[in-house]
Amino acid sequence: MNPSPVTDGSATLSFEAARGGTAIGELYQHDPLRLLFPRHMKGEPLTGVLVTTSGGLVGGDRLQIRVSSGEGAAGRVLAQAAEKIYRSTGADSRIKIRLQAEAGSWLEWLPQETILFDSSRLRRSTEIRAVPGARMLCGEMVVLGRTAMGERMRQGLLHEAWEVYWDDRLAWADALHLNSGFERVSDAPAGLDGARACASILYVGGDAGEHLDPARTLIDETVEDSLRVAASCMGKVLVIRWLGRDSLQLRDAYGRFWAAFRHHLAGYPPIMPRLWQA
Amino acid sequence: MHTPMSTDGASVGGTQLVRLMNWLSPSFPVGAYSYSHGIEYAVDAGLIHDRDTLRDWVSEVIAAGTGRVDADLHRAAHEAVRNRDEALFVWVLEHGDAMRATRELGEETENQGQAFLAAVARPWPAAGLDWAQEKAAEQQRPMVYPVAVGAVAAAQDIPLEPALAAYLHALAANLVSAGIRLIPLGQSDGQQALADLEPVILDAVAQALERDREDIGQAALMVDWASARHETQYTRLFRS
Repeated sequence: MNPSPVTDGSATLSFEAARGGTAIGELYQHDPLRLLFPRHMKGEPLTGVLVTTSGGLVGGDRLQIRVSSGEGAAGRVLAQAAEKIYRSTGADSRIKIRLQAEAGSWLEWLPQETILFDSSRLRRSTEIRAVPGARMLCGEMVVLGRTAMGERMRQGLLHEAWEVYWDDRLAWADALHLNSGFERVSDAPAGLDGARACASILYVGGDAGEHLDPARTLIDETVEDSLRVAASCMGKVLVIRWLGRDSLQLRDAYGRFWAAFRHHLAGYPPIMPRLWQA
Repeated sequence: MHTPMSTDGASVGGTQLVRLMNWLSPSFPVGAYSYSHGIEYAVDAGLIHDRDTLRDWVSEVIAAGTGRVDADLHRAAHEAVRNRDEALFVWVLEHGDAMRATRELGEETENQGQAFLAAVARPWPAAGLDWAQEKAAEQQRPMVYPVAVGAVAAAQDIPLEPALAAYLHALAANLVSAGIRLIPLGQSDGQQALADLEPVILDAVAQALERDREDIGQAALMVDWASARHETQYTRLFRS
């Protein structure tokens, strides 16, 4: 079998404040990434939907995504579907995401889950750049193996890195790294303790500290005890981490929390988009 | 006995050995005894309840958790100070400061780093340490604990490998000590756990010496969970 040609996709989208609302500024897309703009829903920020037309990534594939929200703009980017990372014979699949928000703006980044096939290799980095007055709600979810068919991740690579810059200064960084001993670490009580899915939600804003207690209350109200969920706040960055044995249960709870938390933070409707529920 | 001075070998002796033992002993005034790294919550939640569960928890912290990240920071700090590599040291300062899995884990490493530097500064001055302190001040970043120990070791011509082994051993020993107080267990169980952890520590050192900087990271996600939960734990003896 011939190796498939390597994919080098990119998408760039900027939201800009316009009379009475937000408009699309810059828009660039290169296969296999596409941006769609569903009909505007009342009370919601301007929403773009990111589509990966190839259906997934193989080793060597690269995607680069840039989303920004200009001064006073309010935007949201959703993923149309789960991202699949296929088995690799050696090369890493790389996804680079850069999210930027200017003063007085809101940016919501809500991808769906990334499903890592056994022996897949993913390096994903998410760079967040915010300034005083900007507010961003960003998420990421990973499922280790095609759990629906009983597969688990036994080998491969997952490197999931976050960097948050506040006013151009590195304010917070995190990297989940799994490359060897997948089964040991995912079963170890100090590792993932049997979890097959993990996720993070970051809220970045000058008022992050004020939202820690409300976030904890929402976790208690919306998340069942069989999931491991906890929040902590480091300066301008509020982080909520999620671990679950059942990826569908985790996804449901994550969605319930997200809907309630965006409402708490910015007054947007406490609902998830239809795409999330599909 | 004469042991040759070396900055890149694996052996250490004489003055260097004595200093390393002192700096990373439980009585060195960094306040290590007040940090449990989330173990206080993990014990409360029933995840750690005996010698074996304690040993396995600490083993994962060393191999896949904070120990893995700290080893990379320690190594990079050591190399940066040894070679006066400013760009590398800035990277270490930024990432040491920014990579805080939770608020309490961040405070644990920052406070111990500051206490370590304060305790070392007068008795053991060194040009390399002055250089490191100057860069930290310029960057307005604290030297977190593994960075401080790596920088001081390099400034005192103590080779990387034994310095890193001593650092990771001190981390393991402190967590075992927290565990035996919290579970509670006897001292002999604690020593058995530490004996069991020796190969884990040595393997973690060997892997850190080979690792690409791009691969810095950790996977002890339950430790992060326990630490974040510890922030609201009702009865607390420990600061983390």
